[in-house]
Amino acid sequence: MIKGLKINPRDNVAVVLAAVKAGDNVEIATAAETLILAAKEDIAFGHKIALTEVGVGRAVIKYGEEIGQAKVTIRSGEWIHLHNLDCRRGHE
Amino acid sequence: MMNSFFGYRRAQGLPGTRNLVAVIPSVFCANTVARRIAEHVAGAVAFCHPVGCSQVGLDLELTARGLKGLGKHPNFYGVVVVGLGCERFRPAELAESIAATGKPVEILVIQEEGDSLKAMDKGIRMASALAEQAALQAREEFPLSEFRLGLKCGGTDATSGLAANPALGWVTDQIVAAGGGAIFTEVTELIGAEHILAARATSPAVAEKILTTIGNMEKRLAAATASVAIQHRTALVSPGNEDGGVTTVVEKALGGIYKAGTSPVHGVLDYGQYPEEQGLYLLDCVGHDGEAVTGVIVSGCQAVVFTTGRGTPTGFPGVPVIKITGNNVCYDQMRYNLDFNAGAIIQGTPIAELGADLLEKVLRIASGEPARAELLGHDELFCVTRI
Repeated sequence: MIKGLKINPRDNVAVVLAAVKAGDNVEIATAAETLILAAKEDIAFGHKIALTEVGVGRAVIKYGEEIGQAKVTIRSGEWIHLHNLDCRRGHE
Repeated sequence: MMNSFFGYRRAQGLPGTRNLVAVIPSVFCANTVARRIAEHVAGAVAFCHPVGCSQVGLDLELTARGLKGLGKHPNFYGVVVVGLGCERFRPAELAESIAATGKPVEILVIQEEGDSLKAMDKGIRMASALAEQAALQAREEFPLSEFRLGLKCGGTDATSGLAANPALGWVTDQIVAAGGGAIFTEVTELIGAEHILAARATSPAVAEKILTTIGNMEKRLAAATASVAIQHRTALVSPGNEDGGVTTVVEKALGGIYKAGTSPVHGVLDYGQYPEEQGLYLLDCVGHDGEAVTGVIVSGCQAVVFTTGRGTPTGFPGVPVIKITGNNVCYDQMRYNLDFNAGAIIQGTPIAELGADLLEKVLRIASGEPARAELLGHDELFCVTRI
């Protein structure tokens, strides 16, 4: 099964360690548990998969820190990238 | 664990990892003469650049600090300064500051020699004499406390923050723990990581300086991205970063700071400033690959480790730039441009295991083994910063 890496316990995303097709199961092992999550869409190697639902304007967290906010509601298993994640730092 | 390297002793400061003659124009008008001098002398390298005149204030000061820092660099046994004669950045100012370190310096002024052909003839003889002296010097063994490593990433992808930067961070921590030094920069790409770095500062004053430095750079970026007419030029990460899975500048920053390990941050350096002590320092410079690598080198780093996910071939004249990736596909595709693959970390190899191999590679290259960028003659990274 394709593995996903949750870098920090606070994260609500994981990095997929191989290219994922829609419907593929992704295994995310942490110290606490192993989560199996079906990808809702294709996700390229190294890109982010949502581990939980993230509401509009809510923080997307990777490395245990906020990397930006959701532009739309992101559902668990969705790909997170430029289309649904925004960061205004350095712009205003 | 390897804990020493073989370098060239200098009259002052840290030893060199190479032993070359630098031919440095004080102004771009002297570039061709400088380049042709170096072309005629084995062991000489020229540093052509677009600055040195018609500049004012901080812009001219940055040029002065950058070229002085370059001339002082321990990898250069001696320096030939080539001036035109009428430029604002005086060739004598450059030569005097380099001579203060105790290394041999020659000065050549084209307008005083008569024409460029006469200047080249004299300059070739000057550089040859220095190269001949340099060739008599042998490498000696030095401990890690005599080593200062520059840290850089470029062509970042998602593997940079997972593998290549953590491996480099491990190396940084070993060097610092052994009494050595390291410098990281790319302040344009530290936005969102400032609180983490400030918490690692050795004093409240250093913490404040870190926050101010990154805050000022963020203001500069915000001003640069504010124009409505050029909103298509406002991305803070590159298309390659995005394709590689890096979405935001903060995400890039959080992955990027791994290369600075976990050691305390001793201070913030101005451009061209050499640290007075060893330890980990932040340099105030932008993230542009050329400007940042030049920045850490003109603050005295004897070698640079450059992590990449997308792959980049670039190098710096006379100072090894060691390329490592955490992306196995990139390593296979760009094998000849890359010195080290840290990709096994993603498959579960412990960071310390890969890190020890990387440290050994760095010290072997410091001791004379050529980095891939040196073998291929890559020299794109010399780039004096401007304001």
